[in-house]
Amino acid sequence: MAVSHLLTHPFRFTISTFKLLCALHLFQTHVFEVGPAQGPSMLPTFSIDGDWIAADKTHARNRRGALRVGDLVMYRIPVSPDAMGIKRLVGLPGDYVSIGTPGQGGQEYMIQSSILTEPKSQVPDGHCWIVGDNLPASRDSRAFGPVPLALVTGKVVARCLPFRDAGWFENGLQPVKNDS
Amino acid sequence: MALSSLWRRAAGQAGIAKAVAMNLVGFATWIPVLALFNIYVAEVTFVDGASMYPFMNSDKDSTLRQDVVLNWKRAPQHDLERGMIVTLRSPVHPEVVAVKRIVALEGDVIRTRPPYPVSTVLVPSGHVWVEGDGPPGSSLDSNMYGPVSKRLLTGKITHVIYPFHKFGPIDWRDHRRALVE
Repeated sequence: MAVSHLLTHPFRFTISTFKLLCALHLFQTHVFEVGPAQGPSMLPTFSIDGDWIAADKTHARNRRGALRVGDLVMYRIPVSPDAMGIKRLVGLPGDYVSIGTPGQGGQEYMIQSSILTEPKSQVPDGHCWIVGDNLPASRDSRAFGPVPLALVTGKVVARCLPFRDAGWFENGLQPVKNDS
Repeated sequence: MALSSLWRRAAGQAGIAKAVAMNLVGFATWIPVLALFNIYVAEVTFVDGASMYPFMNSDKDSTLRQDVVLNWKRAPQHDLERGMIVTLRSPVHPEVVAVKRIVALEGDVIRTRPPYPVSTVLVPSGHVWVEGDGPPGSSLDSNMYGPVSKRLLTGKITHVIYPFHKFGPIDWRDHRRALVE
Protein backbone atom coordinates (compact mmCIF):
# COMPACT_ATOMS: atom_id res chain seq x y z
CA MET A 1 0.00 0.00 0.00
CA ALA A 2 2.78 2.40 0.91
CA VAL A 3 4.75 1.70 -2.25
CA SER A 4 1.90 2.34 -4.67
CA HIS A 5 1.03 5.46 -2.63
CA LEU A 6 4.57 6.80 -3.06
CA LEU A 7 4.76 6.04 -6.76
CA THR A 8 1.77 8.27 -7.45
CA HIS A 9 3.20 11.20 -5.47
CA PRO A 10 6.52 12.14 -7.11
CA PHE A 11 7.48 14.84 -4.58
CA ARG A 12 6.94 12.50 -1.65
CA PHE A 13 8.81 9.80 -3.57
CA THR A 14 11.79 12.10 -3.93
CA ILE A 15 11.77 12.98 -0.25
CA SER A 16 11.49 9.36 0.79
CA THR A 17 14.33 8.37 -1.53
CA PHE A 18 16.48 11.14 -0.07
CA LYS A 19 15.73 9.91 3.46
CA LEU A 20 16.63 6.36 2.46
CA LEU A 21 19.90 7.47 0.90
CA CYS A 22 20.79 9.36 4.09
CA ALA A 23 20.06 6.29 6.18
CA LEU A 24 22.14 4.07 3.89
CA HIS A 25 25.05 6.52 4.00
CA LEU A 26 24.91 6.60 7.80
CA PHE A 27 24.88 2.80 7.83
CA GLN A 28 27.89 2.66 5.56
CA THR A 29 29.95 5.11 7.60
CA HIS A 30 29.00 3.93 11.09
CA VAL A 31 28.07 0.25 10.85
CA PHE A 32 29.34 -1.70 7.84
CA GLU A 33 31.01 -0.87 4.54
CA VAL A 34 32.07 -2.88 1.49
CA GLY A 35 34.51 -1.34 -0.96
CA PRO A 36 37.56 -1.85 -3.18
CA ALA A 37 41.14 -1.75 -1.98
CA GLN A 38 44.33 -1.33 -3.95
CA GLY A 39 48.06 -1.03 -3.35
CA PRO A 40 51.04 -3.29 -2.74
CA SER A 41 51.56 -2.51 0.95
CA MET A 42 49.53 -5.44 2.27
CA LEU A 43 50.77 -8.29 0.04
CA PRO A 44 50.19 -11.22 0.36
CA THR A 45 47.10 -10.55 2.48
CA PHE A 46 45.54 -8.34 -0.21
CA SER A 47 46.26 -8.32 -3.94
CA ILE A 48 47.59 -5.16 -5.53
CA ASP A 49 44.22 -4.58 -7.19
CA GLY A 50 40.80 -6.14 -7.58
CA ASP A 51 40.08 -7.03 -3.96
CA TRP A 52 36.83 -5.90 -2.35
CA ILE A 53 36.86 -5.87 1.43
CA ALA A 54 34.23 -5.54 4.14
CA ALA A 55 34.84 -3.35 7.18
CA ASP A 56 33.10 -3.27 10.54
CA LYS A 57 32.79 0.45 11.29
CA THR A 58 31.56 0.00 14.86
CA HIS A 59 35.22 -0.34 15.86
CA ALA A 60 36.01 3.22 14.74
CA ARG A 61 38.34 5.05 17.13
CA ASN A 62 38.50 1.76 19.04
CA ARG A 63 35.41 2.97 20.87
CA ARG A 64 34.42 -0.56 21.80
CA GLY A 65 37.91 -1.28 23.10
CA ALA A 66 37.80 -4.52 21.10
CA LEU A 67 40.64 -3.97 18.62
CA ARG A 68 43.57 -6.34 19.16
CA VAL A 69 47.15 -6.41 17.93
CA GLY A 70 47.03 -8.37 14.69
CA ASP A 71 43.71 -6.93 13.47
CA LEU A 72 43.44 -5.21 10.10
CA VAL A 73 42.33 -1.60 10.50
CA MET A 74 41.10 1.02 8.05
CA TYR A 75 42.32 4.53 8.82
CA ARG A 76 42.66 8.06 7.48
CA ILE A 77 46.26 8.55 6.35
CA PRO A 78 47.52 11.42 8.57
CA VAL A 79 49.83 12.97 5.97
CA SER A 80 47.31 12.96 3.11
CA PRO A 81 44.25 15.20 2.66
CA ASP A 82 41.81 12.46 1.68
CA ALA A 83 43.42 9.03 1.29
CA MET A 84 42.29 6.03 3.32
CA GLY A 85 44.57 3.12 4.12
CA ILE A 86 44.40 -0.41 5.51
CA LYS A 87 47.21 -1.74 7.67
CA ARG A 88 47.75 -4.20 10.46
CA LEU A 89 47.51 -3.03 14.06
CA VAL A 90 50.82 -3.76 15.74
CA GLY A 91 50.67 -1.56 18.84
CA LEU A 92 47.94 -0.23 21.11
CA PRO A 93 48.43 2.52 23.73
CA GLY A 94 51.07 1.45 26.20
CA ASP A 95 52.65 -1.18 23.92
CA TYR A 96 56.35 -1.31 23.15
CA VAL A 97 57.08 -1.36 19.42
CA SER A 98 60.15 -1.38 17.23
CA ILE A 99 60.37 1.56 14.86
CA GLY A 100 62.75 -0.26 12.53
CA THR A 101 62.34 -3.04 10.01
CA PRO A 102 63.49 -6.60 10.79
CA GLY A 103 66.62 -7.44 8.84
CA GLN A 104 67.65 -3.84 8.32
CA GLY A 105 69.72 -1.43 10.35
CA GLY A 106 67.70 0.20 13.05
CA GLN A 107 65.54 -2.79 13.86
CA GLU A 108 66.63 -2.67 17.49
CA TYR A 109 65.33 0.87 18.04
CA MET A 110 62.16 1.28 19.98
CA ILE A 111 59.75 4.16 19.86
CA GLN A 112 61.17 7.15 21.71
CA SER A 113 59.53 8.31 24.87
CA SER A 114 57.34 11.31 24.27
CA ILE A 115 55.83 13.83 26.59
CA LEU A 116 52.70 11.70 26.59
CA THR A 117 54.43 8.56 27.80
CA GLU A 118 57.31 9.82 29.91
CA PRO A 119 59.41 8.20 31.12
CA LYS A 120 58.65 5.03 29.15
CA SER A 121 59.10 4.32 25.41
CA GLN A 122 55.59 3.23 24.53
CA VAL A 123 52.83 3.92 22.06
CA PRO A 124 51.25 7.10 23.52
CA ASP A 125 47.73 7.28 24.97
CA GLY A 126 45.07 7.55 22.33
CA HIS A 127 47.41 6.39 19.53
CA CYS A 128 48.21 3.13 17.73
CA TRP A 129 51.11 1.73 15.72
CA ILE A 130 50.20 0.30 12.33
CA VAL A 131 52.44 -1.56 9.89
CA GLY A 132 51.78 -3.04 6.44
CA ASP A 133 52.28 -6.75 5.79
CA ASN A 134 54.57 -6.03 2.82
CA LEU A 135 57.32 -4.26 4.77
CA PRO A 136 59.51 -3.01 1.90
CA ALA A 137 56.52 -1.46 0.08
CA SER A 138 54.59 0.01 2.98
CA ARG A 139 54.43 3.61 4.21
CA ASP A 140 53.15 3.20 7.73
CA SER A 141 53.92 4.13 11.33
CA ARG A 142 57.60 3.47 10.68
CA ALA A 143 57.46 6.57 8.46
CA PHE A 144 54.79 8.84 10.00
CA GLY A 145 54.82 7.72 13.63
CA PRO A 146 51.99 6.64 15.91
CA VAL A 147 48.55 7.26 14.44
CA PRO A 148 45.84 8.79 16.66
CA LEU A 149 43.06 6.28 17.21
CA ALA A 150 40.63 9.01 16.18
CA LEU A 151 41.84 8.41 12.61
CA VAL A 152 40.93 4.70 12.70
CA THR A 153 37.59 4.29 10.94
CA GLY A 154 36.98 0.55 11.18
CA LYS A 155 38.21 -3.01 11.35
CA VAL A 156 38.54 -4.98 8.12
CA VAL A 157 36.79 -8.30 8.73
CA ALA A 158 36.41 -10.04 5.37
CA ARG A 159 37.28 -10.16 1.70
CA CYS A 160 34.24 -10.26 -0.61
CA LEU A 161 35.84 -10.34 -4.05
CA PRO A 162 37.32 -12.09 -5.98
CA PHE A 163 34.79 -14.70 -5.04
CA ARG A 164 37.17 -17.65 -4.89
CA ASP A 165 39.26 -15.80 -2.27
CA ALA A 166 36.25 -14.58 -0.26
CA GLY A 167 36.31 -15.24 3.46
CA TRP A 168 36.63 -13.82 6.95
CA PHE A 169 40.00 -12.55 8.16
CA GLU A 170 41.17 -14.20 11.36
CA ASN A 171 43.55 -12.58 13.79
CA GLY A 172 46.61 -14.78 13.39
CA LEU A 173 47.90 -14.21 16.90
CA GLN A 174 46.92 -16.96 19.30
CA PRO A 175 47.84 -17.25 22.96
CA VAL A 176 50.58 -19.78 23.66
CA LYS A 177 49.15 -22.74 25.54
CA ASN A 178 51.15 -23.56 28.63
CA ASP A 179 50.82 -27.28 29.30
CA SER A 180 52.78 -27.37 32.54
CA MET B 1 4.99 14.35 4.28
CA ALA B 2 4.90 11.09 2.45
CA LEU B 3 2.87 9.33 5.12
CA SER B 4 0.37 12.11 5.88
CA SER B 5 -2.36 10.88 3.54
CA LEU B 6 -1.76 7.32 4.75
CA TRP B 7 -2.25 8.66 8.26
CA ARG B 8 -5.58 10.20 7.34
CA ARG B 9 -6.85 6.84 6.10
CA ALA B 10 -5.42 4.98 9.09
CA ALA B 11 -6.81 7.39 11.68
CA GLY B 12 -10.35 6.94 10.45
CA GLN B 13 -10.13 3.18 10.80
CA ALA B 14 -8.09 2.49 13.90
CA GLY B 15 -8.22 5.46 16.23
CA ILE B 16 -6.02 8.17 17.67
CA ALA B 17 -3.29 5.94 19.12
CA LYS B 18 -2.42 4.51 15.75
CA ALA B 19 -2.58 7.97 14.18
CA VAL B 20 -0.14 9.36 16.73
CA ALA B 21 2.16 6.40 16.23
CA MET B 22 2.16 6.89 12.45
CA ASN B 23 2.96 10.58 12.94
CA LEU B 24 5.87 9.82 15.25
CA VAL B 25 7.25 7.31 12.77
CA GLY B 26 6.94 9.98 10.12
CA PHE B 27 9.00 12.39 12.21
CA ALA B 28 11.52 9.67 13.02
CA THR B 29 12.26 9.07 9.36
CA TRP B 30 13.90 12.51 9.31
CA ILE B 31 16.48 11.52 11.92
CA PRO B 32 19.08 10.15 9.44
CA VAL B 33 18.77 13.36 7.42
CA LEU B 34 19.34 15.53 10.51
CA ALA B 35 22.22 13.31 11.60
CA LEU B 36 23.93 13.72 8.22
CA PHE B 37 23.34 17.47 8.38
CA ASN B 38 25.01 17.60 11.80
CA ILE B 39 27.98 15.59 10.56
CA TYR B 40 28.58 17.25 7.18
CA VAL B 41 27.02 20.75 7.23
CA ALA B 42 26.68 22.40 10.64
CA GLU B 43 25.99 21.60 14.27
CA VAL B 44 24.93 23.64 17.29
CA THR B 45 27.02 22.60 20.26
CA PHE B 46 27.99 23.45 23.86
CA VAL B 47 31.56 24.46 24.71
CA ASP B 48 32.80 22.61 27.77
CA GLY B 49 35.74 23.72 29.91
CA ALA B 50 37.97 26.76 30.41
CA SER B 51 40.74 26.08 27.90
CA MET B 52 39.48 28.81 25.54
CA TYR B 53 38.90 31.40 28.30
CA PRO B 54 38.20 34.28 27.91
CA PHE B 55 37.15 33.92 24.28
CA MET B 56 34.62 31.28 25.26
CA ASN B 57 32.97 30.54 28.57
CA SER B 58 34.11 33.94 29.83
CA ASP B 59 31.53 33.78 32.62
CA LYS B 60 32.93 30.52 33.93
CA ASP B 61 33.43 31.89 37.44
CA SER B 62 29.94 33.29 37.84
CA THR B 63 27.70 30.70 36.23
CA LEU B 64 27.40 27.04 35.32
CA ARG B 65 25.96 27.93 31.94
CA GLN B 66 28.15 26.99 28.96
CA ASP B 67 28.48 28.93 25.70
CA VAL B 68 26.51 27.60 22.73
CA VAL B 69 28.19 27.93 19.34
CA LEU B 70 27.75 27.00 15.69
CA ASN B 71 30.24 24.43 14.42
CA TRP B 72 30.54 24.70 10.61
CA LYS B 73 31.38 21.23 9.35
CA ARG B 74 31.90 21.74 5.62
CA ALA B 75 35.47 21.38 4.29
CA PRO B 76 37.11 21.42 7.74
CA GLN B 77 40.64 20.97 6.37
CA HIS B 78 40.43 23.74 3.76
CA ASP B 79 40.89 27.53 3.94
CA LEU B 80 42.53 27.32 7.32
CA GLU B 81 44.10 30.49 8.69
CA ARG B 82 46.11 31.25 11.78
CA GLY B 83 43.78 32.39 14.52
CA MET B 84 40.74 30.34 13.45
CA ILE B 85 38.85 28.47 16.14
CA VAL B 86 38.45 24.85 15.10
CA THR B 87 37.01 21.63 16.46
CA LEU B 88 39.12 18.52 16.30
CA ARG B 89 39.13 14.97 17.61
CA SER B 90 41.60 14.89 20.49
CA PRO B 91 44.73 12.83 19.68
CA VAL B 92 44.84 11.64 23.29
CA HIS B 93 41.15 10.90 23.86
CA PRO B 94 39.60 9.73 20.56
CA GLU B 95 36.01 10.11 21.79
CA VAL B 96 36.51 13.77 22.76
CA VAL B 97 35.99 16.65 20.30
CA ALA B 98 38.14 19.56 21.45
CA VAL B 99 37.79 23.28 20.62
CA LYS B 100 41.10 25.06 20.06
CA ARG B 101 42.64 27.90 18.08
CA ILE B 102 44.94 27.26 15.10
CA VAL B 103 48.17 29.03 15.95
CA ALA B 104 50.45 27.72 13.19
CA LEU B 105 49.97 26.04 9.80
CA GLU B 106 52.17 23.51 8.00
CA GLY B 107 55.58 24.96 7.28
CA ASP B 108 55.47 27.51 10.10
CA VAL B 109 58.04 27.48 12.87
CA ILE B 110 56.37 27.92 16.25
CA ARG B 111 57.93 28.77 19.59
CA THR B 112 56.33 26.23 21.88
CA ARG B 113 55.15 26.68 25.45
CA PRO B 114 55.87 24.39 28.42
CA PRO B 115 55.58 21.46 28.84
CA TYR B 116 56.64 20.79 25.24
CA PRO B 117 60.21 19.45 25.41
CA VAL B 118 61.54 21.22 22.30
CA SER B 119 61.59 25.03 22.15
CA THR B 120 60.86 25.48 18.42
CA VAL B 121 58.96 23.17 16.10
CA LEU B 122 58.55 23.15 12.33
CA VAL B 123 54.94 22.11 11.73
CA PRO B 124 55.05 19.14 9.33
CA SER B 125 53.16 18.88 6.05
CA GLY B 126 49.48 18.05 6.52
CA HIS B 127 49.52 19.16 10.18
CA VAL B 128 48.60 22.22 12.25
CA TRP B 129 49.52 23.51 15.72
CA VAL B 130 46.55 24.22 17.98
CA GLU B 131 46.46 25.93 21.34
CA GLY B 132 43.83 26.97 23.83
CA ASP B 133 43.57 30.65 24.76
CA GLY B 134 43.32 29.95 28.48
CA PRO B 135 45.93 30.47 31.19
CA PRO B 136 49.01 28.20 31.07
CA GLY B 137 48.20 24.70 32.21
CA SER B 138 44.46 24.96 31.53
CA SER B 139 44.61 23.48 28.05
CA LEU B 140 45.44 20.04 26.69
CA ASP B 141 46.69 21.14 23.28
CA SER B 142 49.65 20.89 20.89
CA ASN B 143 52.01 21.94 23.69
CA MET B 144 51.22 18.52 25.15
CA TYR B 145 50.56 16.32 22.11
CA GLY B 146 52.48 18.06 19.34
CA PRO B 147 51.29 18.97 15.84
CA VAL B 148 47.95 17.45 14.86
CA SER B 149 47.07 15.99 11.48
CA LYS B 150 44.56 18.07 9.52
CA ARG B 151 42.53 14.84 9.14
CA LEU B 152 41.59 15.20 12.83
CA LEU B 153 39.86 18.54 12.23
CA THR B 154 36.07 18.25 12.27
CA GLY B 155 34.86 21.82 11.83
CA LYS B 156 35.28 25.55 12.40
CA ILE B 157 33.47 27.58 15.06
CA THR B 158 31.95 30.46 13.14
CA HIS B 159 29.17 31.93 15.30
CA VAL B 160 28.19 32.24 18.94
CA ILE B 161 24.53 31.62 19.71
CA TYR B 162 24.44 32.02 23.51
CA PRO B 163 25.11 34.15 25.60
CA PHE B 164 23.06 36.66 23.69
CA HIS B 165 25.41 39.57 24.33
CA LYS B 166 27.99 37.68 22.22
CA PHE B 167 25.48 36.53 19.60
CA GLY B 168 26.78 36.62 16.02
CA PRO B 169 29.85 35.74 13.97
CA ILE B 170 33.02 35.38 15.97
CA ASP B 171 36.02 37.60 15.38
CA TRP B 172 38.89 35.14 15.33
CA ARG B 173 41.33 37.46 13.56
CA ASP B 174 41.88 39.45 16.74
CA HIS B 175 44.66 37.16 17.90
CA ARG B 176 48.40 37.57 18.19
CA ARG B 177 50.81 34.71 18.62
CA ALA B 178 54.26 35.39 17.25
CA LEU B 179 55.83 32.83 14.99
CA VAL B 180 59.55 32.37 14.43
CA GLU B 181 60.30 33.84 11.01
